[in-house]
Amino acid sequence: MTTKTPEQINEDLLRPLEGTSPRYLAALTFFVLVVLAGAAAFLHQVYAGLGVTGLNRPVFWGFYITDFVFWIGLSHAGTLISAILRLSNATWRRPVTRCAEVITVFALSIGAMFPVVHLGRPWLAFWLFPYPSERGIWPNIRSPLLWDFFAINTYLLGSVTFLVLPILPDMALVRDRTTGWKKKLYHVLSLGWTGTPRQWSRLEMAMRIMAVAVIPVAVSVHSIVSWDFAMAPVPGWHSTIFAPYFVCGAIFSGIAALIIAMALLRKFLHLEDYLLRIHFENLGKLLLVMSLLWFYFVFAERLTTWYGNGSSEMAVFWPTQSGSYAPLFWAMVVCNFVIPFPILAIKKLRTIAGTVVASIGVVIGMWLERFLIIVPSLSHKYLPYSYGSYRPSFTEIIITVATFAGLAMLYMLFSKIIPIISVWELKAGEVTETATAPALARPEQVRAD
Amino acid sequence: MERRDFLKISALSGAAAALDACGNPEHQLIRFIPEEDLTPGIATWKPSVCTLCPAGCGMLVRVMQGDAEVVRKGQLGLLKMGLAKKLEGNPAHPVNEGKLCPRGQAGLQVTYHPDRIRTPLVRSGPRGSGQFKEVTWDEATKQLAGQLSALASGKQQDRLAMVVPPLRGVKKSLLGAFAAALKAPAPVEFAFLDGGVVAAADAASFGPAEPPTADLGHSNYVLSFGADFLGTWNSPVAQSLAYGRMRAGRPGKRGKLVHFEPRISLTAGNADEWIPCRPGTEGALALSLCHVILRDKLAPAADAGHAGTLIEGWAQGLPDFDPEKAEQQTGVPAATIVRIAHEAATHQPAVALAGDSATAHTSGLFNALAVNALNALLGSAGKPGGILFTPAWTPSLGKTAEKSQAGGTLPALVKRIQSGPDAVKALLLFGANPVFAAPAAMQVREALEKVPFIASFGSFIDETSILADVILPDHSPLESWLDDAPVSGTARTVAKVAAPAMEPVHNTRGTPDVLLDVAHQLGGEAATALPWKSYDEALKAAFAPLQHEKGSVSATDPDEFWSKVREQGGWWSAEEKSLPVGGGKGSGVAATAAAPAFDGGADAYAFHLLPFATQMQYDGSLAHLPWMQEAPDPLSTVMWGSWVELNPATAKKLGIEQGNLVEVASQHGSVRAPALLAPGIAPDVVAMPVGQGHESFTRYASERGANPIAILAPMTVTGTDALAWAATRVKVARVGEGKIILFGARLHEMPEDVKHR
Amino acid sequence: MVIDLDRCTGCEACVVACHAENNIATVGEDQAARARAMHWIRVERYYEGEFPNVKTKFMPVPCQQCGAAPCEPVCPTFASYHTIEGLNGQVYNRCIGTRYCANACPYNTRFFNFYNPVWDKPLDLQLNPDVSVRSEGIMEKCTFCVQRIKAGEVQAAAEKRLVKDGEIQPACVQSCPTQAMVFGDLSDPESEASRLARSNRATRLLDELGTFPKVTYLQRGSWHDNENA
Ligand SMILES: Nc1nc2c(c(=O)[nH]1)N[C@H]1C(S)=C(S)[C@@H](COP(=O)(O)OP(=O)(O)OC[C@H]3O[C@@H](n4cnc5c(=O)[nH]c(N)nc54)[C@H](O)[C@@H]3O)O[C@H]1N2
Ligand SMILES: Nc1nc2c(c(=O)[nH]1)N[C@H]1C(S)=C(S)[C@@H](COP(=O)(O)OP(=O)(O)OC[C@H]3O[C@@H](n4cnc5c(=O)[nH]c(N)nc54)[C@H](O)[C@@H]3O)O[C@H]1N2
Ligand code: SF4
Ligand code: SF4
Ligand code: SF4
Ligand code: SF4
Ligand code: SF4
Repeated sequence: MTTKTPEQINEDLLRPLEGTSPRYLAALTFFVLVVLAGAAAFLHQVYAGLGVTGLNRPVFWGFYITDFVFWIGLSHAGTLISAILRLSNATWRRPVTRCAEVITVFALSIGAMFPVVHLGRPWLAFWLFPYPSERGIWPNIRSPLLWDFFAINTYLLGSVTFLVLPILPDMALVRDRTTGWKKKLYHVLSLGWTGTPRQWSRLEMAMRIMAVAVIPVAVSVHSIVSWDFAMAPVPGWHSTIFAPYFVCGAIFSGIAALIIAMALLRKFLHLEDYLLRIHFENLGKLLLVMSLLWFYFVFAERLTTWYGNGSSEMAVFWPTQSGSYAPLFWAMVVCNFVIPFPILAIKKLRTIAGTVVASIGVVIGMWLERFLIIVPSLSHKYLPYSYGSYRPSFTEIIITVATFAGLAMLYMLFSKIIPIISVWELKAGEVTETATAPALARPEQVRAD
Repeated sequence: MERRDFLKISALSGAAAALDACGNPEHQLIRFIPEEDLTPGIATWKPSVCTLCPAGCGMLVRVMQGDAEVVRKGQLGLLKMGLAKKLEGNPAHPVNEGKLCPRGQAGLQVTYHPDRIRTPLVRSGPRGSGQFKEVTWDEATKQLAGQLSALASGKQQDRLAMVVPPLRGVKKSLLGAFAAALKAPAPVEFAFLDGGVVAAADAASFGPAEPPTADLGHSNYVLSFGADFLGTWNSPVAQSLAYGRMRAGRPGKRGKLVHFEPRISLTAGNADEWIPCRPGTEGALALSLCHVILRDKLAPAADAGHAGTLIEGWAQGLPDFDPEKAEQQTGVPAATIVRIAHEAATHQPAVALAGDSATAHTSGLFNALAVNALNALLGSAGKPGGILFTPAWTPSLGKTAEKSQAGGTLPALVKRIQSGPDAVKALLLFGANPVFAAPAAMQVREALEKVPFIASFGSFIDETSILADVILPDHSPLESWLDDAPVSGTARTVAKVAAPAMEPVHNTRGTPDVLLDVAHQLGGEAATALPWKSYDEALKAAFAPLQHEKGSVSATDPDEFWSKVREQGGWWSAEEKSLPVGGGKGSGVAATAAAPAFDGGADAYAFHLLPFATQMQYDGSLAHLPWMQEAPDPLSTVMWGSWVELNPATAKKLGIEQGNLVEVASQHGSVRAPALLAPGIAPDVVAMPVGQGHESFTRYASERGANPIAILAPMTVTGTDALAWAATRVKVARVGEGKIILFGARLHEMPEDVKHR
Repeated sequence: MVIDLDRCTGCEACVVACHAENNIATVGEDQAARARAMHWIRVERYYEGEFPNVKTKFMPVPCQQCGAAPCEPVCPTFASYHTIEGLNGQVYNRCIGTRYCANACPYNTRFFNFYNPVWDKPLDLQLNPDVSVRSEGIMEKCTFCVQRIKAGEVQAAAEKRLVKDGEIQPACVQSCPTQAMVFGDLSDPESEASRLARSNRATRLLDELGTFPKVTYLQRGSWHDNENA
């Protein structure tokens, strides 16, 4: 890493906050329009009924729940990875953590929308909330959907806190460098951060606690999401492997998303000097481990199903392996393993471009995985008379696409307001690179500028 | 204050309130004074009669108070009235013992059908355009009476024709009397599915000219030759009840059902053994069974009595029908024939039934006579566990009714119309739909278009009534006085009658009342021959003689009798007593008739076309009911459409996949429908449901599916004038992608799904 | 409920009876093509074998009113719940339309209103006032004709007596032309339904899943030459 002065760091990392290019505006407009199209599609669905989707009997869950699981999975990009890296004192994490945590918060928010989007009567979604109602009934705590409610909200709260705390010093930094209304804005956003030693040590303490706390929460979230399926006696769902399998898949897709996000930021925000090949390489190694782990889970799951040869399980197994869902299944294997494995395993290929290609594969593959968990099982549930199939409707497709646009939009807006790379942590890194200091920078080092 | 007065006042104030009720048009309707006392939310049950097929099941109608938009005195308004909410079988009724088939239950939707004709109509556009304008009843009946009196004054009454569905009971007598009083030919009865061939065979073999009642509940062995008796043939509810008893109603005993037909029908699907045989060879098969029974001395030839003597070679032990020869002819292995013959002969009471396609080949009458001989040989004619004959009620409305000239058949009527201009000057249609239900080759539409004046009494605009000049819509059955006299399904005499279960919803009139009204308008002989003021008066008169018979109602005076009969939904004899069997009067059909003839050469037209009635749409007359469109066909599970049923091997050979659009062409035309691959059909047979393919029959049935009747050859069953509707050969080809809507067991997805199971 | 598969002919009288009794909407051709037709009871048809040795089997499937119903615990709003009488109840106005219950139901007997139902006037006059109609976004299913059960119980209570065996008949049972269906109180060992449920032909559908279905199927008998001679 080329050594930069703190001033250079300030210049480079705060640049995006200071002006907008037409290219940025054009891209933002595009994403906003796609999001609006998705919103319109949803409103139409509320008005007309869920009939506008491709859902049917017996495939009552389709794209929306796929999206739900996918986005919640993707959210493991950030907080979990960043917490692990923080706890393990991986110094190369410094430029990475914030863009990862932002993915968590946004992906989680998008994911959390889907349980509402998919409701037959979304205007009554609040009946899922545990509030003492005049109806005299609480929601059913036996329902995994309730567990989702608690898990996702806990995770969201934790992730937001985890994201916001280390932002405060940077907000203060921006506050101190700007004037006028912006100064006022950042004054508010910095929540009174002045950088006193007390504040620094509290921040350090809080981050340590959060980093420890957020890991079990993150693991629990995707375990619980997996139990939405595993708790129901549906062939292909009712499996003990689901919780770890889902958590593994979540981290897998999360890392991939992070690599893609980093590459985009690096290119568009000209952060070539901060997001280095070593970052991609390290994340690539992690991705490789997850790819192998994922493959292992899929293999273990498929093997036991096939060996067990239960008739209703096999009715799901064969269409997935060699029937109408086989193209999707094998595409998933290619995306999640066949492409990423050699790229990530061979050092020469583990370049920035290489890891990005592998990551794009993984994101697509993991979306397919969610789809393949839901649809083949529901369409082959026990009594063959009621076997069915599913094709998504335009409404579902546009809403799905809009959520990707939504993430891009939120990311772009966020990076305009808040430095997407933690300025003070990076500076701390520059200083501690040689000094092997604790993870969090000491206050005086920052105050120095 | 009297209650009536109070109601009048409240109706007035309701109307006043309606004036300032803005926005909601329902509130602007006037509210009529209710005519009956019903407690809201409390159901009453009224007896009625199912008229949807010839079985004649007895019903109970659940009536509850509700608000209906109705027309009264030409004015649309809201009325609190008794509304039929559900139809159930009448438990007291001897035919159906409280049960109804799916069609019977859907009868409710006839009354509330959105496309029912709500008021009299007069044609306002070119004939067949479907353009009508609404007129009053006075105008409509005046038109009709005018036409009839013009015929009378020109002494051209013989140029009047009437087309009716097969009728029974007092309604038949009344229409007969009406025709006779007008000096017109008797009504022409027409339906696609009629039991004429079976009745003719029964008359020849045993005496009674009616379909048999199989006493399945006491049978140990049932041989069905084509008869879909659990689905649509004869009296399905009575037969289903008896079938249930045969299967599991007798502890330790379970009867066996063997079904011979080239395709799996509902009945074949329930058989212990389904044995496909070559189309039209059912008679040869039955005689081969007889041959084995005689050869192996399981029963003496003489046991068959008259029914046996009708068959050539009977006394010689039917040498032409040894199992090996029969195998050649029927395609059923000789060993199977021998085994079945032995099983049937040693598990008595055994019974054999012939119907549907088996009697709709040119060999149909022969087949029925052969099965009758088998029955007789098995000792089941007129015996418990065998076939019985209903001592059917034939009401009399006095001398006039019996006097009318013969009406003839539909083909004869078509010929008559085409014999010269104005050969038929006026035609009255009573709900029959021959344009749909007769082969296009019979040219019914072309003939009807030549008739100068057509009046229809139907409730819907269908392919035939669309040609009418005047439509005088009948009440729906639930709004009508009904009567019936079932000819099978029971060994009792049954005379059914029911008062309207509910007030009419629309501006309709009961057709019998309209006819009486017209007769009175015409005056003279017509009026004196039909002296009754209304149909219920005629009914009461027709029922009166039953008071003195031993039956389900005992009463001392006619009024009490009449009211008790109505309460019960009819009268039935106390005793179960089959008509005597044995004195058959007919002569046989030559054994040469055992070989069926087909229209279309086997080279160009490689497949037999097997049309069949469906559980939901029956012969097509129920295709307009949404429940009947959306209830899946029990075997194919098809909803909202029709299909071409193909053996998978045949389909593969022709490059046809499930759901592909397929063209089925005979020498007389072609139809297109999606392919359905089903294992239960012979490779050289393609089957199509009749019932769909209506050009014009309400929003639910129009332009949906295909009508195979249209392409049938106008062949007749040898020895009768019945249509041989299973005698057409066709060719089959894929013409493109199609769409088939299946409720379950999507066969096209099945191969991959089942292959590993 | 007991369903004797030896009697059942697959006629579907029960299907239409249920439509009439329970205000089940007809969804129309387009929606039916999208696999959204609603039949609270359906007659499953299976073929076995190939021409000419084909066997056909019919099996009517209403909600099995499972004793341990998988559809119940997963419902977040208690819209799918267990009644005191041991039925699986469905409270329409509590349902928010997650469709989770329908996924969990191994028998696929739950039906969802993808749109608001439409009855072309005056077909709405056929609606049974004893049964509510369900709007868009709501799950529905066979209730064992709870309105008939309640009416029977109220009637019996008014007459200060117990409900008689066979007195209460769901619409499908009432209609069945072969008398294949028998309805009764399984907690009364003397009832006809209990008696039949103990038959040696008695089986339960997907019994191995541990759902404790309350519908008993009596298997089809077979015919042996020497048995009936
Ligand atoms: N203008 C005007 N006002 C009227 C009337 C009128 O005609 N005109 N009618 C009056 C009459 S007759 C009545 S009955 C009242 C009706 O007034 P309300 O009793 O307020 O009736 P609903 O609007 O149906 O509200 C019932 C509530 O119960 C909830 N709910 C549904 N299921 C359950 C459950 O199982 N348990 C519990 N605890 N809650 C449940 C629903 O969410 C809903 O919020 O309105 C009265 N007000
Ligand atoms: N779609 C729908 N159906 C419902 C409900 C719903 O919310 N929506 N709610 C249900 C409930 S809770 C109830 S209580 C019922 C109410 O059902 P109904 O009792 O039918 O109630 P309304 O329609 O309000 O009033 C009935 C009639 O009484 C007339 N009326 C008004 N004042 C008087 C009077 O002083 N004397 C007389 N003789 N008549 C009078 C009115 O003009 C009206 O025609 O509806 C039930 N059905
Ligand atoms: S068999 Fe069905 S359609 Fe025919 S009369 Fe009986 S209930 Fe009606
Ligand atoms: S009504 Fe009875 S015989 Fe008909 S399908 Fe239903 S259960 Fe079977
Ligand atoms: S669809 Fe309705 S009944 Fe089913 S789980 Fe969801 S809220 Fe409960
Ligand atoms: S059959 Fe399905 S809907 Fe009925 S109780 Fe069982 S799980 Fe629930
Ligand atoms: S019990 Fe009632 S609700 Fe259930 S299938 Fe039968 S008729 Fe329908």
